[in-house]
Amino acid sequence: MSDSTEKRETILSKDQTRRDFLKMTGTGLAGAFVALTLGCATTVRTREGNELRVWATPQGALVHDPNRCVGCKRCEAACTVRNDGKASAYISRIKVSRNQNFGVAGVSAAYAKADGQLGNFRIVAETCRQCEKPACGVACPTGALSTDKKTGARVVNAKLCVGCGACHDACPWNLPTVDAETRKSTKCLVCDGDPTCAKNCPTGAIRYLPYAEAEKLLWGAEVVSGATA
Amino acid sequence: MAATYGYTGKILRVNLTTGKISTDDTLKYKDFIGGEGMAMKIMWDEVAPGVTPYAPENKIVFGTGPLCGTGVPCSGRTNITSLLPSSPFHGVSSSHMGGYFATELKYSGWDMIVVEGKAANPVWLRIEDDKVKIEDARWMWGKGIFDTQAMVASFMGKEAQVAAIGQAGENLVNLSVIRTGSSHSAGGHGGVMGSKNLKAIGVKGTGSVKIAGDRKAWAELDKLMMSVIGANNQMVVPSSPQPWAEFNDKSSRWTGRKGLYWGAANPPVETGECDPHDMQSVGLRTMKAVFDFGPQAEKYTVRMGGCSHCPIRCHSQLKVPQLSKYGMDEYVSNTCMGWFSPRGVMFKGIKAFDGNSEADAAVVGPAIGAKLADDYGVWCNYGQIGRDLQYAYETGLLKKVLPADEYASIPWEKLEKGDATFLIDFYERVAFKKGEFSHIADGTYWLAERWKFGDDFWNGKVYKVWSRQGFPVHHSNEAGGQVGALISCFSNRDAQNHSHMNFIGSKLPIALQKEIAGEIFGSPDALDAPSDYKPMNEYKARFVKWSLGRSMLHNSLTVCNWMWPMSVSPLKERKYRGDTGLEAKFYSLATGIQLSEKELDEAAARCFTLFRAITQRQMGQKDLRVAHDQTTEWVTHAEKGKDGKEIPQFTKGTIAMEEKDMELGRTLVYREFGWDEKTGAPTRACLEKYGMADVAQDLASRGLLPV
Repeated sequence: MSDSTEKRETILSKDQTRRDFLKMTGTGLAGAFVALTLGCATTVRTREGNELRVWATPQGALVHDPNRCVGCKRCEAACTVRNDGKASAYISRIKVSRNQNFGVAGVSAAYAKADGQLGNFRIVAETCRQCEKPACGVACPTGALSTDKKTGARVVNAKLCVGCGACHDACPWNLPTVDAETRKSTKCLVCDGDPTCAKNCPTGAIRYLPYAEAEKLLWGAEVVSGATA
Repeated sequence: MAATYGYTGKILRVNLTTGKISTDDTLKYKDFIGGEGMAMKIMWDEVAPGVTPYAPENKIVFGTGPLCGTGVPCSGRTNITSLLPSSPFHGVSSSHMGGYFATELKYSGWDMIVVEGKAANPVWLRIEDDKVKIEDARWMWGKGIFDTQAMVASFMGKEAQVAAIGQAGENLVNLSVIRTGSSHSAGGHGGVMGSKNLKAIGVKGTGSVKIAGDRKAWAELDKLMMSVIGANNQMVVPSSPQPWAEFNDKSSRWTGRKGLYWGAANPPVETGECDPHDMQSVGLRTMKAVFDFGPQAEKYTVRMGGCSHCPIRCHSQLKVPQLSKYGMDEYVSNTCMGWFSPRGVMFKGIKAFDGNSEADAAVVGPAIGAKLADDYGVWCNYGQIGRDLQYAYETGLLKKVLPADEYASIPWEKLEKGDATFLIDFYERVAFKKGEFSHIADGTYWLAERWKFGDDFWNGKVYKVWSRQGFPVHHSNEAGGQVGALISCFSNRDAQNHSHMNFIGSKLPIALQKEIAGEIFGSPDALDAPSDYKPMNEYKARFVKWSLGRSMLHNSLTVCNWMWPMSVSPLKERKYRGDTGLEAKFYSLATGIQLSEKELDEAAARCFTLFRAITQRQMGQKDLRVAHDQTTEWVTHAEKGKDGKEIPQFTKGTIAMEEKDMELGRTLVYREFGWDEKTGAPTRACLEKYGMADVAQDLASRGLLPV
């Protein structure tokens, strides 16, 4: 842990000033004292001395539309070939396969009327919301999750990741996934602002929207998962 | 184990008699590509001639190939190879299913599953990565395929993909399927699983398929592929005028257009213009529901579905509330024969019934049939079951062969009236093998033997039987004349070959198609205009060999032969040319094994020649031309025109073939493959050229090798 703390301080001194950070986060933590930063995930200390981790606002997030989705899973293959050099459903950062046959809720006696390929044909993909306060990042014991400087996406630093799965457990949708082959966590990094999944969707069911717009769709009262548009 | 690319590198072997589970090395079979090719090698090596389909000694091979799971468009298919119960000599044969099973199998770390033996009690096979268990299926036995899938997933988790048999497979109905997902069936081998007491296979994988090549090169190749891909069956011309399109053709499956919706989506989704340059509408261009049923299907369509990694969605997924009346769930999915075969059983037509208008009945009727056939797991022998029924019924034969009380118990009045609830009775009798009537699903050859069908059946054009082996036309002489006709002569079941259809059915003008045919096969004469055929020539023979080889290649890679190969494209700037080298480019990048288009075609020819050798060994015949490759008589007899006069072959307006010309065609195809030109049997030189001296030796020892 002490090693990684040192790294954080190095990054701060080289790359970032306090003013830059506050401008970027837009949180206006007046008087806050910047203690550490890692990429753009920053720990701040309040006047009272409490330590807070503050995350820069992402530029955007993915939104999936179950009404247009045809369940082809081209998004999953495209995601993992681009980012991992191999095709996989399990570590895809957009999750279609696990909901494909029986929906988010899973197998039930009423499966034929529930979501999924074996039900009403409604396929709900779960996508990372790039949460304002990402539970994955907060839970990570090694500080392996940080905010991508270009896009603001919450990304995994594979060098720091120890594959413990705390991020997976902490995420309400269990989206970060530890790759069984590399023992490193994978999660949506929005592909430098041009998400491969969205580009490869043959029906336009996946969109990368500005954060405020995405938030409205992802956190509405009707929303059961990372979907609806 | 060293890292493998494209392939997972492992074959799962399960012996249900002993309970032994073991691992084999995929790459020792790599000369046979994957899927069907590798399965042929296993069947040749391990299943002796004389073994019958339902014997424990028969093996059933579930195969994927090196492109399956990589994300290559249309690569979600599973090839299943085993002995075929409906074949008169139990010929080795392959059935295929789409869906999501194959990719999940790859991600669980397996390229193939080889099952042999017979379990003492019903079992199901549970595959979770490298953990494989044989589980008790006594409680699942007797259930339909839908419930079986849910039961398996309730044990394994919602991610599981399941292939299963229904009651038809359990009861060893020859015409039964293995099915996965909502509507993906492999026809013909359900009974083989049943005979092994194997109810289902569930797979769930956390692994991956690794790509050997550069990621950016892969993305570029995928982009190229996505630019040349058309609609279902590689039709590259839209069915209605579009601002971007130079051509249109009403009979095209590229049905997407402004004002046409997935009407039961909420809110409805417009299919729209579908400009081929727009990658976000590729999945909207094939609105198959209206193609299969007509405009009334629009309001029932929830969306289009299909298989893993395929942007072309050819399965219509419908909400048909009327199904509730019969205690069925209202969601039903299928494509082509899934709808047409119940319609074929209703050979008197489907008319207004149970309060459905005639237009609605045209959707509700086939929907009832598809739901039943898919749950029981009944196969249709590519639509032949309906024509078999028609012959037996209309000739009065059924009345003679069925006991009077059984005949009287069948609701014929419903069939006569066009009331599709007839299908409820029909499929139940078939799936549960009830009475003499159930032999309708023995397969045409066995049925015709049992009920003594006359020559008028075999030779009657109306019944569409292609071969005395009991299989029907499937894109045969109506599809490119001798090209389709000869393609249909080499299989042990309906040809299931779309290599030629995905080119000549493109809907491009014939002059342009001929130009492209010239580039691929050496002369525009490889292709004739529809119903305006010219005599056989060597270029058509090349076209036949290429089609047979590509189908084998696709079933080995595994990619979908209902879309591939990409001979044409929808793009004017490409002069509508596709790229027939795409399979080899993807194969080389995925696996790191560099093969040219020609080399991969040669590998496919090796696999097809091995299939030929197995067929020959099973038949025990020296002369395959006579024993195997012949058609029924109607194929080579002149058709009569509207005026009652015969239309001479090779004049405009007839698709009839001519006997001598077909024999010449066989000779030329044998020559292309390097087989014996007289008998069509593989020669020693040919087998040795393909590295199969052992096969030559075996055939020689049986006196089957041409001198």
